[in-house]
Amino acid sequence: MKVLLPFHVNKVGAGFPSPATDYVEDDIDLNAHLIKNIPSTFLIRVQGKSMNNVGIQNGDLLVVDRSLNPKNFSTVIVNINEELVVKSFIKEKNQTFLTSGSKDKINLVENPEIVIWGVVTYTIHAL
Amino acid sequence: MLYNNNKIALVDCNAFYVSCERLFNPSIEKKPVVVLSSNDGCVISRSTEAKLLGIKMGEPYFKVKKIVKENDVKTFSTNFSLYGDISRRIMKTLKQFSPQMEIYSIDEAFLDLSSIQNENLLEHGCNIRKTILKWTGIPTSIGIATTKTLSKAANYIAKKEKSGVVDLINSKNIDEILSKIKINDVWGVGGQLTKFYINNGINTAYDLKNMHNGWIKKNTSVFGSRTAMELKGIPCISLEPHQTKRKSCCVSRSFGTKVTKLEGLNEAITTHCLNAAEKIRLDKQTVKKITIFIRTSPFHAKNNYYANSKDIDLPIRTNDSIILIKQALLALKSIYKEGYRYQKTGIIFSGLKDTDIYNKNLFSSLNNDEKRIKLMKAIDHTNFKYGRNALSVAQAGFKKKWNIKKQHNSKIDTACFDFLPVVRIV
Repeated sequence: MKVLLPFHVNKVGAGFPSPATDYVEDDIDLNAHLIKNIPSTFLIRVQGKSMNNVGIQNGDLLVVDRSLNPKNFSTVIVNINEELVVKSFIKEKNQTFLTSGSKDKINLVENPEIVIWGVVTYTIHAL
Repeated sequence: MLYNNNKIALVDCNAFYVSCERLFNPSIEKKPVVVLSSNDGCVISRSTEAKLLGIKMGEPYFKVKKIVKENDVKTFSTNFSLYGDISRRIMKTLKQFSPQMEIYSIDEAFLDLSSIQNENLLEHGCNIRKTILKWTGIPTSIGIATTKTLSKAANYIAKKEKSGVVDLINSKNIDEILSKIKINDVWGVGGQLTKFYINNGINTAYDLKNMHNGWIKKNTSVFGSRTAMELKGIPCISLEPHQTKRKSCCVSRSFGTKVTKLEGLNEAITTHCLNAAEKIRLDKQTVKKITIFIRTSPFHAKNNYYANSKDIDLPIRTNDSIILIKQALLALKSIYKEGYRYQKTGIIFSGLKDTDIYNKNLFSSLNNDEKRIKLMKAIDHTNFKYGRNALSVAQAGFKKKWNIKKQHNSKIDTACFDFLPVVRIV
């Protein structure tokens, strides 16, 4: 990952020293903010339809962290029928489900072969 | 026996290249899969299912083509940018389990676990395995022991166990385990040594462990006795956390289509030269000796077979692509024979040393050197920014007919914005 160096406003030399010097911070590094765990985080492109209820649209870039465990309403990448797809993860009482929008729920207890691939932490959408 | 406090784990990825291909392609998860070397030459990674079909490691593709067709084996060409990125992630993850770690290859690492209590070793190993699988999706096997050679042996057994982790430190039946390992599967025992050992009745790791030190010292090299000592639990090969610089650098490829003319070989050798020279400049090294080799397919009839190589000792060590190419092409010309269908060519740079040891020669012109160093820097910089071969020499060819496109590349690269993996919304 790229490490960005702080931009020092005040060069050595003449003139009144910039009053901001003491407040110089690093340039904003999106990687540092969007990626908590570098080795387990993957960028994955969305193809197909959109999931408007969670704000994911065709062509978006998903930041996916494999090290996280899904919580209620997490957006997850799952391996269903030999394909990686995006779903919402829902917890109800002692049951867990996968849904996409309002459509059919998949009960995870009844389908133990379904594996959660990773948890989506951010979606990057080009305007 | 000496008391030895070392605790070393060898973490080895299972069928690493295949596992990488499966990571974003669940449809091949339970199917037989193989990965082929460059230009689809040989099998270099096999899934368990492919192993069960009798596909051997290193076998040329045409020999297994029938099995592949009949059993719908999924084949892939190498996708080293993907494997490299996944490897980097695995090594980064491993680092948090031990500050002392030696990256042994793209898919193997030794970890120093001496800070872990003996009774917790197995659990710790299982935890490492679980974390790597969850974070990166790659299955591993882990062998834990008091020496590197024993940890390799433990790993060999772990590959066959469902748990994937074997701890020899708390094991009471090390000898039983070692007697299950054939002598040629012992780390550091090569083909020649295997023959010699078998002729002397040493058939397993256990047999070697029980040989008298004196006999081994007398009959084998220092490496041979190191292996035997390590099997006894006496550490002779230490962990090397800092990567040592390479002493030689080899680039070779099988051709996509056979090459008969000198021009084609010239292009290939030039391309390999450029790649190798870039690598050694990156490591700030210089070359003393160049070796080039060419050969036809070893599966051809005897009268159609030709293989030859040539060494050139450079008067002045260098890492200048242009000088290296010039010398390599002269060497190629001297061994090229018309009328053969060449299958493979390669180049080896050896006698590598750090650039700062670079001795100015009485005959070298100082000015010219400075200019060339700047030129090389400019080439490397451009190629780093705009992709390899953005700046090349014309001699390397433009069409590169010999280097046909890979046929089964998965085209996924987790480290490249244009080739990211894809998920669907259904």
